[in-house]
Amino acid sequence: MKFIITLAFKNLSRYKRRTSITAVAIAVGLMMYLLVDSILIGAENESMRNLRWYETASARIHAPSYWEDRMLFPMESSIENPDAVLALLDENGWKATARTVFTADMILYSEDFGEDGNMNVLVTAIDPETDNDVFHFSDTLIDGRFLEKGDENGILIGSWFAEDINAKVGYWITLVARGNGGFYEAMDMQIVGILNCPNPNVNRTLLMMDKDTAGYYLGMNQAVTEIDVLLPEHEDIDVEMAKIQAKIEASHLDLEVHSWKELAKDYLAIAEAKRGGTSMILFLVFIIAAVGISNTMLMAMYERTRELGMMRAMGMSDNNIRLAFLIEAGGIGFIGAVFGIVLGLLANLYMVNVGIDFGWMMRDLDMGYRIQSVFRGAWSMSSFIEAFVAGIGLSMIVAWIPISRALKMDIPSCLRHQ
Amino acid sequence: MIKVDKVSRNYIAGESVVKALKKVSLEVGDGEFMSIAGPSGSGKTTLLNLIGCIDSLDEGEILINGQQVTKMNKKEKTEFRRNNLGFIFQTYNLIPVLSAYENVAFVLSILNVPEQEIRERTYAVLKEVGLEGMENRRPSRLSGGQQQRIAIARALVKNPQIILADEPTANLDSKTGEEILKLMKKMNEKYHTTFIFSTHDQMVMDYASRLVLLHDGNIVSDERR
Ligand SMILES: Nc1ncnc2c1ncn2[C@@H]1O[C@H](COP(=O)(O)OP(=O)(O)OP(=O)(O)O)[C@@H](O)[C@H]1O
Ligand SMILES: [Mg+2]
Repeated sequence: MKFIITLAFKNLSRYKRRTSITAVAIAVGLMMYLLVDSILIGAENESMRNLRWYETASARIHAPSYWEDRMLFPMESSIENPDAVLALLDENGWKATARTVFTADMILYSEDFGEDGNMNVLVTAIDPETDNDVFHFSDTLIDGRFLEKGDENGILIGSWFAEDINAKVGYWITLVARGNGGFYEAMDMQIVGILNCPNPNVNRTLLMMDKDTAGYYLGMNQAVTEIDVLLPEHEDIDVEMAKIQAKIEASHLDLEVHSWKELAKDYLAIAEAKRGGTSMILFLVFIIAAVGISNTMLMAMYERTRELGMMRAMGMSDNNIRLAFLIEAGGIGFIGAVFGIVLGLLANLYMVNVGIDFGWMMRDLDMGYRIQSVFRGAWSMSSFIEAFVAGIGLSMIVAWIPISRALKMDIPSCLRHQ
Repeated sequence: MIKVDKVSRNYIAGESVVKALKKVSLEVGDGEFMSIAGPSGSGKTTLLNLIGCIDSLDEGEILINGQQVTKMNKKEKTEFRRNNLGFIFQTYNLIPVLSAYENVAFVLSILNVPEQEIRERTYAVLKEVGLEGMENRRPSRLSGGQQQRIAIARALVKNPQIILADEPTANLDSKTGEEILKLMKKMNEKYHTTFIFSTHDQMVMDYASRLVLLHDGNIVSDERR
């Protein structure tokens, strides 16, 4: 056994050039894998955070009939007594805020916008006092002011949306919406602030006004369409959800709770698909390592055919010979893996701290990620361990083939080999 | 004792069949110092390979100490070679990354000899073949004759019953070749190891105490001297 290991390591140093080239190929492959993996994990983490911060909150409470028609934003299916629900949540230590979301026709005037126009929009009516307990919009203000409680004319707009329609703070618009009773109501609103929301899907469409004002115009009578809840980051979401559900049921409130995971199903499906992309990269790394190692081992075996014949004639078992070559291949894999990890660490240091700006692309392209511009990496211990083990393991697996082929050759042919 | 009984070995080369050995029979006693000679292509290597259990025959059988080696499976043959046979090659076939010492010691380590004993026996045999002080040199830093001495040490170190050498001096000049042969002869006498070697060289044949001549796969003469 000691001899086998000695032989493997001495042979490893025999073709320094070839060993280094193969190891470098493995290292670069592993680094690529680590980098892509890091970006994907980072993007996923940030997307999920931006989803919760600007789109879904941790959980959302609806009237039971709302969920089925949620794509139509049905105002009839509203929560009649939001204050009772909010009080109940507050009692149990959950932060929450009420919102009314409705569709409207937005009319633009030529005095401000240069030409008349109208478009369908989605308006989120918030409680300016509590919304920031759950969401993070007040931090994203880049122009004007935030909404105030009872703000009668003020409306906020997402910065990309504002760019698209050429809107500035101070411009007036009119929203025409179908109220709770079926009548149409016009609201004259002035843009008071522009929000640059890091979540591109929101930033592209956001219109935000005061909940009480909207409620008054739309005849909501205190009712809201949803209550959004913030759950602590580290808690198990399913456990917390069950607790909220239990409290609501105990209070005989006829309401439903949905977690952000249910609310963002489409996003999570995309993220799942993206993870498939990582396996593609891993496959690529596999190919690089496979070609490199098998080629190196093939050449090594070829050059050492007579030695191999000698060892076999001397009575060294095929298993021992195979082991020696496998250790040698594993050694190349090990060197490659170590360098790959070091390169991966350095590259990831940059990715985590600086990141890559994809802003030019995210502005016009919806990739599903809730990130506006800079994609940052994330540290993943398990990915590094995976890469390390894969580097060594793959090398050994791939070396198996040329070794077995050489061992199939009969001994006299090995010995005759030039 | 080796008994080769009506052994034939055919090679198929494309369409034609080459009859490398044609019903060859031969007995070799323990401790013989025997040379197999004959022109190129006469079947010397084939016969040595068959006795060395690294090739398989088409007809006949070979017994070594009463054991039917030709009936053994691959694993049994490997084990048999490990325990009983030593090989010396024309091209030495040393492992270039290993020192002289390691090239010899590995034979004992695959026999699971204890470390201490490996050291003693390896140093002793290297001294015996005249390589004292060169144990740590790699083959590339030794002459052809010295390399073949390592190979002889490697074949001898496990004290095999039989050592097979296919043209052991063909890559050496005549003076070095003669030294190698003297060394082999000395070991043969000292340890009573059976040596069977093939050669083209008249000088080498002269050292043999028995000379078997092959021609076209047949033994045409077998003389002891
Ligand atoms: N693997 C093989 N395939 C086909 N023919 C072979 C093979 N090995 C040997 N032969 C043929 O068998 C015959 C005997 O070969 P062998 O190598 O035993 O001769 P030899 O006496 O050792 O010759 P040399 O002095 O050249 O080494 C030759 O005709 C050779 O061409
Ligand atoms: Mg020959």
